[in-house]
Amino acid sequence: MSQSQQPKILILGTLSGGYAGADSTGQSHLDYPPNTYILPVMSPVMFPPEFYLRAFEHGMDGIIVMYSGTDSPYKVEADGTAKLINRAYQLMKERGMDIRRLRLAAICTVCVKPFLKEVNQMNDLLEGIGFVKDEIAAHASAIVTQEAAHG
Amino acid sequence: MPENQQPRIGVYICHCGGNISGAVQCESVAKALKGLPNVTITRTDESMCSDAGQSLIEKDIQELGINRVVVGACAPMLHEQTFRGAVTRAGLNPFLYHHVGLREQDSWVHGHDKTAATDKALRLMSAGVAKARLLQPLDPIRLGAEKHALVIGGGVAGLRAALDIARQGLRVTLIEKSPFLGGRMAQLETVFPTEEEARALLHDLIQKVTAHPNVTIFMGAEVMGVSGYVGNFTIQVKQHSRGVSDDNAEALMSACTQEVPDPFNYGLTKRKVIYRPYEGCYSSTPAVDWDHYDGRPFDVNGWPIELKDEPKSFELNVGAVVVATGFDPYTPPQGEYGFGELPQVVTLPQLIRHLALSKDGKSLQWNGRAVRDVALIHCVGSRQVDGVHQPQEDGQVNNYCSRVCCTASLHMTADLHKRYPELNIYDLHQDIRTYGRGHEEYYRHALEDGVRFLRYNGEEVPEVSPAPQGDSHPVLVKVKDMLTYGEEIEIPVDLVVLAVGFMPRDLHGLDKMLKISRGNDRFLLEVHPKLRPVETAVKGVILAGSAQGPMNIQESLSAASAAAAKVASLLGRGKVELPPFVAAVDVEKCNGTGACVEACVYEGAIALQTFNENGEEVKRAVITPANCVGCGACVAVCPNNAVNVQGWTLAQYEAMVEAIGMDLPAMTEVTA
Ligand SMILES: Cc1cc2nc3c(=O)[nH]c(=O)nc-3n(C[C@H](O)[C@H](O)[C@H](O)COP(=O)(O)OP(=O)(O)OC[C@H]3O[C@@H](n4cnc5c(N)ncnc54)[C@H](O)[C@@H]3O)c2cc1C
Ligand code: SF4
Repeated sequence: MSQSQQPKILILGTLSGGYAGADSTGQSHLDYPPNTYILPVMSPVMFPPEFYLRAFEHGMDGIIVMYSGTDSPYKVEADGTAKLINRAYQLMKERGMDIRRLRLAAICTVCVKPFLKEVNQMNDLLEGIGFVKDEIAAHASAIVTQEAAHG
Repeated sequence: MPENQQPRIGVYICHCGGNISGAVQCESVAKALKGLPNVTITRTDESMCSDAGQSLIEKDIQELGINRVVVGACAPMLHEQTFRGAVTRAGLNPFLYHHVGLREQDSWVHGHDKTAATDKALRLMSAGVAKARLLQPLDPIRLGAEKHALVIGGGVAGLRAALDIARQGLRVTLIEKSPFLGGRMAQLETVFPTEEEARALLHDLIQKVTAHPNVTIFMGAEVMGVSGYVGNFTIQVKQHSRGVSDDNAEALMSACTQEVPDPFNYGLTKRKVIYRPYEGCYSSTPAVDWDHYDGRPFDVNGWPIELKDEPKSFELNVGAVVVATGFDPYTPPQGEYGFGELPQVVTLPQLIRHLALSKDGKSLQWNGRAVRDVALIHCVGSRQVDGVHQPQEDGQVNNYCSRVCCTASLHMTADLHKRYPELNIYDLHQDIRTYGRGHEEYYRHALEDGVRFLRYNGEEVPEVSPAPQGDSHPVLVKVKDMLTYGEEIEIPVDLVVLAVGFMPRDLHGLDKMLKISRGNDRFLLEVHPKLRPVETAVKGVILAGSAQGPMNIQESLSAASAAAAKVASLLGRGKVELPPFVAAVDVEKCNGTGACVEACVYEGAIALQTFNENGEEVKRAVITPANCVGCGACVAVCPNNAVNVQGWTLAQYEAMVEAIGMDLPAMTEVTA
């Protein structure tokens, strides 16, 4: 199947965590779903909550932030990222989006199994809940219907 | 400058000798990318990292006016620097280069579905092109640097680091908290795997360090404050008085009657509060134990002499800091394997000291009795299991392996057997991890020496209890032995030895002062265990030895030499050059909210400053690049996106994400 018909998973992987973990998985030649696009990041604490919303608007159906958690070389990464993601969850809820589409996972440089688990879990989830654009459209039309009913 | 003109992007896709092209149709990807705006040329090559491959890029920069370069190849950690080099040689700014990993993250993991692998390569490369369009030339951060390093900790790692740095022509100041040099190694006798005398090796090193003209040593000294950044740290130091001088030391020592448990012998013996830890220590001048001295005057020839600690405070300016603060052996809590309750339960470090203090005799003596049977239990305080072991203060168990204790235990069994051939030794382990060169020999010898090995499961640890009254031995050890398929075995013994692991040391705020992190295991954390194994996320702060995790002497020395090499390469030229990936403020967009300053935890990295704009006073955020680590905490909170991490901007990420989501017109053709 062409990848354009598959839900897309964006992975933001820290250089000292998830991105290197994905490289380790590659070195082990272990397969995982190809609809995954990994971008290297210094630390995800730089992404405002709105960034995730825009990524969903650009057609990312699931996003996994693979950071280094409490093992991060940056002091604010663990708490700071969790706070930003929580705010992103609020914004997603307001838009009727399933918050499971956005996940924060601590992945280390050699965390091959956890990396595969995260990717496969998100892939399974997206197979069940489908494209984000359909979810956003359904929410918008529900609001229109509601307004019409009250109007 | 070609880099300031409209982007003319050169895109290069590597076959990696079939590693990538085996799964990704590289030519089709190149063809599809050619249609993207600003892409001037796309090429594929068997091996982009070869001289020929790199020349392709250099030639295109010079002949086609390429001013942005994207290479899709193996992982960036392997060849990003190679291609930045090629770009620089052709006269382009090295940061106008972007690397896309197509091997580890695509062809090697999606080989079973070539269409999907090709589609993914196309999207990732297209994202690379989108980022390249927004790349700006960047300059590395260049700072003047003090050719002077501070080493904190005077154990074997700190001493080695100091000597290696000094030999590179840099000045070194070494600060040791205790009044004596040597750290834990001074408490050992012969050491594995060479069977050399620990203190002889140590003294040879100490002699070289103290004799080196570039080295200054402060003992009894602590770091009280740190400010500044790589190349220019200011360190506040407090040094306690030694309390005695060579002239009055002997008289004061004989007059001293106050005694305390001796930490050098792990509390097995007592020593005076004016002390030398052992004969031949460095410095040879005794010191006063200020933590325990009760302040009462000493009577020297009828004169009352009261000693006072009069600490000196001073400042050091250094370019880099090596943290070599070492470890503490694990101290079992009261009752763990009977420790602290049964006098016949000791730790391995205690037994080492006990043997050092014991006179040779026919049998090992403990607590006034001859020891006939001894049980050694491995992994005490290491490889702990949640729910089985008592958590540490932070609620976590020590789930790491301390690595040194298996060989240290077998080294001990060899020593015991040699000294007391009649002794029966039982070795209770989970695994035998004698991983280093020459370490396995100890295991083989132990088998030959008749040591009886029993294997327990980490979730069902051995039990140590007092033996019933009238038993031949004072202690009973019960173990479920996995080597005999779970048979419950009872071993009556006279002595139980706990092979305790390594604990991260309490640094009393030093890690916070230096702003360095600890890992999940609470040892000090490097940036990357393989790629940057001795650097911390704070530029110019380098780790050496067992402060970073369990290490034997050989490993501590290697780490120390690596740290010294890092310091020498940082400071050797008197200036430091750092990657430009730090925050930068767009003053046009900044309206001085100050949210960025609040979000940043790195002192001096970002601040609001007042400027005069058209006669009006305005506040704007200003970055001090040397203090910024580039985490981007400020980026997320700026309402105007006026601050970004150079080379990793939000706009670049958004462009990349958009490109991944977009179906290129040629994509259907490529992946059909
Ligand atoms: C029971 C046992 C047996 C062992 N046997 C062997 C063996 O046979 N062979 C072998 O290769 N290895 C052996 N080891 C390992 C060996 O002890 C270590 O590898 C070595 O001591 C590590 O040296 P270090 O310099 O990293 O740390 P340390 O020896 O702990 O030295 C750290 C130094 O830093 C100082 N310090 C701490 N905090 C501060 C501060 N804030 N400011 C200033 N100074 C500070 C300390 O006072 C100390 O002097 C054994 C370890 C144990 C526990
Ligand atoms: S080195 Fe051996 S005794 Fe020490 S924690 Fe590891 S397995 Fe246990």
